[in-house]
Amino acid sequence: MSRASDSRHSRKSGNPSSAASESNAQSAVTIHFNGKPIAAQPDDTVASALYRSGRRIFSRSFKYHRPRGLLCVAGRCPNCLMNVDGAPNVRACAQPVRDGMTVTHQNANPSLETDFLAVAERFAWAMPVGFYYKTFTHPWMWRLAEPLIRRAAGLGKVDQEPSPDAEHAYEHVFLHTTTTVVGGGPYGMQAALEAAAQGEDVVLIDDQPILGGHLRYAGSGGNGSGATPASMSQSTEESQPDRESLARRVHENPRITAFTNATCFGLYEGNLLAFAHRQPESPVAQCLTQLRTNRIVIATGAHEIPLLFENNDLPGVMLSSGVLRLIGLHGVKPGERAVIVGNEAAAEPLKEALEAANITLAGVVPPAQVVKATGRKRVTGLKTTERDFPCDLVVVCGDWAPDAGLVAQAGGHVAWDEERGVFATGALPDGVSAVGAVTGESLPPAAGLSFHADSNPKKVFVCPCEDVSLHDLETAIDEGFDHIETLKRYTTTTMGPCQGKMCHQAAISVCAQHTGRTIQETGRTTSRPPTSPVPLGALAGPHQHPVKRTPMHAKHDEIGCVWMDMGEWKRPLYYGAPDTKQESVEQEYWAVRKHVGLIDLSTLGKLDVVGKDAGKLLDKVYTNRFSDLRVGRARYGVICDEAGIILDDGTVSRVADDRYFITTTTGNIEFVQEWLEWWLAGSGMCVHVTNVTGGLAAVNVAGPKARETLAKLTERDLSNKRFGYMRCRRAEVAGVPSLMLRIGFVGETGWEIHYPAEYGEHVWDAILEAGKEFDIRPFGVETQRVLRLEKKHVIVSVDTDATSNPIEADLAWVAKLDKPDFIGKAAISRAKDRPPREKLVGFVMDDDVLPPDGCVIIAGGQPAGRITSVRRSPVNEKVIGLAWVAADLATAGQTITMRVDGRPATARIKDEPFYDPAQKRLRQ
Amino acid sequence: MSFLIPCPNCGQRSVYEFRFGGEVKTRPAAGSSDEAWLGYSYAAANNARSQKEWWFHTYGCRQWLFAVRDTVTNEVSETSLPEETP
Repeated sequence: MSRASDSRHSRKSGNPSSAASESNAQSAVTIHFNGKPIAAQPDDTVASALYRSGRRIFSRSFKYHRPRGLLCVAGRCPNCLMNVDGAPNVRACAQPVRDGMTVTHQNANPSLETDFLAVAERFAWAMPVGFYYKTFTHPWMWRLAEPLIRRAAGLGKVDQEPSPDAEHAYEHVFLHTTTTVVGGGPYGMQAALEAAAQGEDVVLIDDQPILGGHLRYAGSGGNGSGATPASMSQSTEESQPDRESLARRVHENPRITAFTNATCFGLYEGNLLAFAHRQPESPVAQCLTQLRTNRIVIATGAHEIPLLFENNDLPGVMLSSGVLRLIGLHGVKPGERAVIVGNEAAAEPLKEALEAANITLAGVVPPAQVVKATGRKRVTGLKTTERDFPCDLVVVCGDWAPDAGLVAQAGGHVAWDEERGVFATGALPDGVSAVGAVTGESLPPAAGLSFHADSNPKKVFVCPCEDVSLHDLETAIDEGFDHIETLKRYTTTTMGPCQGKMCHQAAISVCAQHTGRTIQETGRTTSRPPTSPVPLGALAGPHQHPVKRTPMHAKHDEIGCVWMDMGEWKRPLYYGAPDTKQESVEQEYWAVRKHVGLIDLSTLGKLDVVGKDAGKLLDKVYTNRFSDLRVGRARYGVICDEAGIILDDGTVSRVADDRYFITTTTGNIEFVQEWLEWWLAGSGMCVHVTNVTGGLAAVNVAGPKARETLAKLTERDLSNKRFGYMRCRRAEVAGVPSLMLRIGFVGETGWEIHYPAEYGEHVWDAILEAGKEFDIRPFGVETQRVLRLEKKHVIVSVDTDATSNPIEADLAWVAKLDKPDFIGKAAISRAKDRPPREKLVGFVMDDDVLPPDGCVIIAGGQPAGRITSVRRSPVNEKVIGLAWVAADLATAGQTITMRVDGRPATARIKDEPFYDPAQKRLRQ
Repeated sequence: MSFLIPCPNCGQRSVYEFRFGGEVKTRPAAGSSDEAWLGYSYAAANNARSQKEWWFHTYGCRQWLFAVRDTVTNEVSETSLPEETP
């Protein structure tokens, strides 16, 4: 979009050979098209190289598979989409060549010249506009047709194999600048220089390989006017600098950063521009930049659009600007014998360009006289009301449409200016301005529709992307889709790869004419990003998955473990070879139950909460009470939201009068911190909340021999009398200052030890060494889950979900409803008063079958609950679990039913924990 | 959605750095009616005009702040820290 057209132009005359000498590299380049080597020049695009080699058909159309050739040669139209180096739907005319590039055609079988699916055109009668809605009126029809349509639909094919360098193929970049100019034509360059002169930092974005806009090729006709609209060439040309000097001044200006080959496809609120940027020399295929800027100058110019006549899509029917680009930029001779379609004023400058390129001019035809282009796979003549012209090139001087997509996205008004006969830009929001042809200024008045009555409207293509003909549009309007927005949706005109660049203005004209409204009344469709195609990979960006590793990560690897992902964290699932899950978990389990086990808990969220009002804050946020917790004690706590839904749980330890140490569920730390900060904000309470998760390593040493193991490493008296259950103490462990919490998630005597992460491996090793004589074993998450399940300890977000409150989750005791206030009190009080809908209960399977997690519980043929956790309990030699069941089933001793592997299975509900219900072992 | 929020601590920043905390509402006093709690917990005014909202600057100063945002244009006319708000 960023090529600017402009009323000024260079006087520098050019010819095919001199205009093509921009590039410094002069070595020859070879590309491969469908396996065949094609010689190219260094500054060729894929399209220009193929055209020079004699190729005229570049694609097959979307619906009828009609042959299509180059039309705009500027990356605006859909006619040259090809697969380049595995990337589908690349616009060949905007893709610079690189030595060794592989190019293949798409959407044609077996070749562009002979495409079996071209038979589709014979069945055009069966595919009227809106045929999906008209034909598939019964579901069975669609079921039948869908696979066929699916196979035929679409253009390029995505390469399913990930390429080896896919990780580096896409990049995201964020930039800031004062002023951004979109469009590197003369107006854009001028605007950039002016802003830079005022001391602003400027980014200039252009989608072509070289700055200059139409000045790059407009000189190819000899007198310099080229394909710019006739009126553009009448302004004062003497005072204007030429392209080279403008471009040089831009490149030399230290305040201006110019991006070429960069497609600016969207303007978002807050003056955010997005552009995709090809980097020919780097392994990064596409770089997507989000550019935040104070001021935006839109200088995207205008583009030429096709005229409407029969077979206006035949290869060889080319826009005049496209013809000049082929000649002027690439030194390619587009044809031998040409007919110009256009009025005298537009045709005049072209005549010289064709003459200079040695093309015979067969005639100039006013648009109103054109009946049709003739020929099957390429144009062989033009039939007019006066005579027939044999030719191999029809040069179409179309109307000019402003590239106003960004203007509209900025919130600017783009409206038909009846007086001037162009779409013009109205008022723009603060910080956004438009200059040059995009404003409609200096564009010639649109010639409007002039198709001849003898033209077959079914072969007059308005929208080349979607094969929408004049007949289709008129039919749709007759069927009632006479608003430009409904017309667009029903016919899909303007919705193809070119995003309406070729058809938008024509569709509006057709709609206006056929409904008898003015163009102003007809209006325009909404412009949304992307204004030009962007590869999905560029939007998705680089493949990045942040990974967090605990301080003991290397130790786990050393021992050998199977890893699991827990959010961003890596945790050992169990230690041992990948296929030894059952034995390994069982060995780890018995180590904890009979001797002593060690688990890495560094992933637990950890918060340091300090201040004179710390207790007050926790009383408000947690459902239970912490202001009365004595120093040196720990308590289990639950956080609910105002609706009484459980958000998180963990232990809260009072380590000093004004200081609490909180643990949260792994992965929930950010949320809990935000939540505490939220209730703190503006409350006037004096508390500081600090996330210390990354700074601390943590382990749990648990089992009958835990005390003896740790006694070897610390001076602290670990006796039950001096360090009882749910107590916390500061202590040195293996010489490292630590916080020890006597808690028992796994149901054995044990200590959770939090200590500086730097000593993660040191303490880990010391404990393993100290426990050696007691057969200590490290254990993983899977073993921990079995151990805790036997204790009926709930895991928030595994056993609870977004509807669970403490009353129903069998945690009623944590909700201290006698507290004057806490978050969720009102809702939990109500939950307590009303009969519960369902309850979280423990169950023991009657037989030795293991239902899957999430298994549905059935009562009377209806779902009546679901299993949240289920494991085989080694100590009970039974399968046990937790499940949500309907309240009437949720009493001890009742039987619940489910289906496992297609067979019914039963379980009995149990109230107390499955292991050590009297909590004796915990407190030993 | 790509508007800017002038954080009182960090200055003009992209909305992607923030977490939305909803409309600023007055929490009912303890013991209020069920209707009051229901409205507070579940109902939003959802006005098509300027409203005062909570935002948390996750990738910045990690502070909660008030922002007055026009829900139609996404223009943030004013921000403040809760402490500074009477």
